[in-house]
Amino acid sequence: MVAMTQLRVGERAKIVDLSQVSDLVKRRLLDMGVTEGAEICLKCTMPLGGPFMIENCGQCVGIRRHEAMNIQVKPL
Amino acid sequence: MMHIALVGNPNTGKTSLFNQLTGTYEYVGNWSGVTVEKKVGVLRSKKAKMIDLPGVYSLHPLSRDERVVTQFLLTESFDKILNIVDASQLERNLLLTVQLLEFGKPLAIALNMVDVAERRGIFIDQTKLAEALRVPVVPVIARTGKGCDEVERTLLEKVAEQTELFTLFYGEAMERAIERFIASWGTEEQFPVRWLAIQFYEGNSYVRDYVAEKWPEATWRSLYEQAEKEVQHAEQMSLAQFIYEKRRSFVKEVIQQVVQRTEIGQVTLTDRIDAVVTNKYIGIPLFLLAMYILFQLTFDWLGAPLSDLLDAFFAGPLTDSVTALLEAIGASEFIRALVVDGVIAGVGGVLVFVPQIFILFFFISFLEDSGYMARVALVMDRLMEAVGLNGKAFIPLIIGFGCNVPGVMAARTIEQPRERLVTTLLTPLMSCSARLPVYALFVGAFFAAHQAIVVLSLYVLGISLALILAKLFSLTILKEETSVFVVELPPYRMPQWQALWRSTWDKGKGFVKKAGTFIFGGSVAIWLLSYVGPHGVNVNMDDSFLAMIGGILAPLLAPLGFGTWQAGAALLTGFLAKEVVVSTMNIIYHVPDVESLQGLMATHFTPLSAFSFMVFVLLYVPCLATVATIYKETGSRKWTMFSIGYALVLAYIVSFVIYQVGGLFGF
Ligand SMILES: Nc1nc2c(ncn2[C@@H]2O[C@H](COP(=O)(O)OP(=O)(O)OP(=O)(O)O)[C@@H](O)[C@H]2O)c(=O)[nH]1
Ligand SMILES: [Mg+2]
Repeated sequence: MVAMTQLRVGERAKIVDLSQVSDLVKRRLLDMGVTEGAEICLKCTMPLGGPFMIENCGQCVGIRRHEAMNIQVKPL
Repeated sequence: MMHIALVGNPNTGKTSLFNQLTGTYEYVGNWSGVTVEKKVGVLRSKKAKMIDLPGVYSLHPLSRDERVVTQFLLTESFDKILNIVDASQLERNLLLTVQLLEFGKPLAIALNMVDVAERRGIFIDQTKLAEALRVPVVPVIARTGKGCDEVERTLLEKVAEQTELFTLFYGEAMERAIERFIASWGTEEQFPVRWLAIQFYEGNSYVRDYVAEKWPEATWRSLYEQAEKEVQHAEQMSLAQFIYEKRRSFVKEVIQQVVQRTEIGQVTLTDRIDAVVTNKYIGIPLFLLAMYILFQLTFDWLGAPLSDLLDAFFAGPLTDSVTALLEAIGASEFIRALVVDGVIAGVGGVLVFVPQIFILFFFISFLEDSGYMARVALVMDRLMEAVGLNGKAFIPLIIGFGCNVPGVMAARTIEQPRERLVTTLLTPLMSCSARLPVYALFVGAFFAAHQAIVVLSLYVLGISLALILAKLFSLTILKEETSVFVVELPPYRMPQWQALWRSTWDKGKGFVKKAGTFIFGGSVAIWLLSYVGPHGVNVNMDDSFLAMIGGILAPLLAPLGFGTWQAGAALLTGFLAKEVVVSTMNIIYHVPDVESLQGLMATHFTPLSAFSFMVFVLLYVPCLATVATIYKETGSRKWTMFSIGYALVLAYIVSFVIYQVGGLFGF
């Protein structure tokens, strides 16, 4: 189990733990179907500590790096 | 007449369907949060009213546009719901459908984007879906209009009161809590109290306020805490999470019955474009390049030649033929002067910029409809984070380049109230299309060789000041709040020509309409003020009322480099709409066309004071329509006054510095 920030671009992983993410962000992620157990793929990262773009079931979502740091995933 | 509400997830094509069904045009774009307020229209057959609403993921609102939907459901009377479901994202869409079914209103599902789903290898059995949810389901493609007739027929004929309420079983502990709520509530509502109970336990803030209006805090709090304790004990999950999980497992079951997937291994077009557009290294440069091209096309390559043609037409053939016509019908000299020197000079002076403004709007529409807008939010987030905002705040700013009013409205989708407020306050610093005529007039006269670069510097100045002020505001008025950023990135879609044109026209027509209404009225009024003075009519303009009014401001403006009554009068009228500055100048300097006006102005301005004047016009106050919108959005007189006040101060300081420092360097 590693933080999402450890993934390489293009790598797929399963989300294991979302509990450390702030409430508002977590609500939004749940809304978009990014839940514990969901399979995601890291699509790209922005420079200088910028946001991450992940894909889940054909849906792309952008989140900040420090939120991604709090998401625990299991690489597939 | 029957009222039908359109409810669904963001960016699923609600407004597209609304436009198809009603034959009107409302704002469509390929990102989440295009529609931010309720819009009403009538079906083509005139048999029912449709209500288009903002997109929501769930009925528990986080942002202001989402609140509109919950508020609508709870407080307004309507008859049926048309739930738009994105076939390519069935799971998250059905989570909302469950909540709507629990709400108990007659409901039909329009299964939209079936074309997208098919391309991804997702096939949905609509009959099975209809059976599983016990409501009519109609597949449609809102973009092309396929299936829309069927939707209308279903809505009018097949959707009936549900005989028994859709009930999802939430497990023993939760059901007991629901029972307790219903028993204590007592009164009848327009909707099932069960729905209210579930939403209440889920933590829906709007519903909680609704409940708190009836019950003292102790009552609802103890109900909530008891439920929380029991569910936590029985299921080891928080209430909200448990309710979410229950819904999700129901939805998963449904999906299992109705969806067939075939694996399509190919890389999608969206993936390929994103590999470039959101690339770590070229993402930001690419965005800047796109903005530069947009700007050059609007201002230089395409827009300027077209405007020149139009100007030549107004100054030559139009003025000549109108003069001839007026002479032929024997109009008085007064009427001739009013029409030619007032109306044609004032309104025509603004209308010549129609080509540039339409080109600008065309490109903004293209950005909106292609799906690039959400990527801009992603790419710019790091910069925005540095100034205390988030990437989503960039969308209102870009829309603000077209017109500040929809820009301010677009700030609604930002979740954090303070960030939303700051974005609302700063959007007016974006150089909107109405300021373009002013720049065009001045750069033509003073910076003929460097037109584009001078105008570009004004745009950049607007954004830079907005970012600096955002930082300043976030260190002072919004310091206690952390900013939040989650953005949905839709697949790219090739905009259709027809849709692009509709959208461009919809934005641009405001400009034309303004020219026909209060720029027309303003021109007449200004001309009259310049024609009449304390000592009679047809006075020398320097003795007119207009000169007197403008003269009051002149000494104040002198340190900025333009202390003339003409500049004072033009700025005063520019509060109505910024392009009126040009109308006023045209009338005051009393010239047949833009070219000779530019020649004349050279005697009143130097290049430095002209630049200082443009900066002042860029910053000094939001126009009347924008101020009204800021008031509507913030609901606060204080913040509205603040938006005017800080802009005036900022404009004064920046122009002052430019003129004085520029003077030192001998410009
Ligand atoms: N391929 C395809 N695209 C569609 C379809 N329906 C709508 N679109 C596109 O989807 C995008 C979103 O459409 P809108 O009508 O603005 O969506 P909305 O649900 O009103 O969005 P919000 O107001 O942001 O909640 C636009 O770019 C439409 O052209 C469809 O059936 N197929
Ligand atoms: Mg919409």
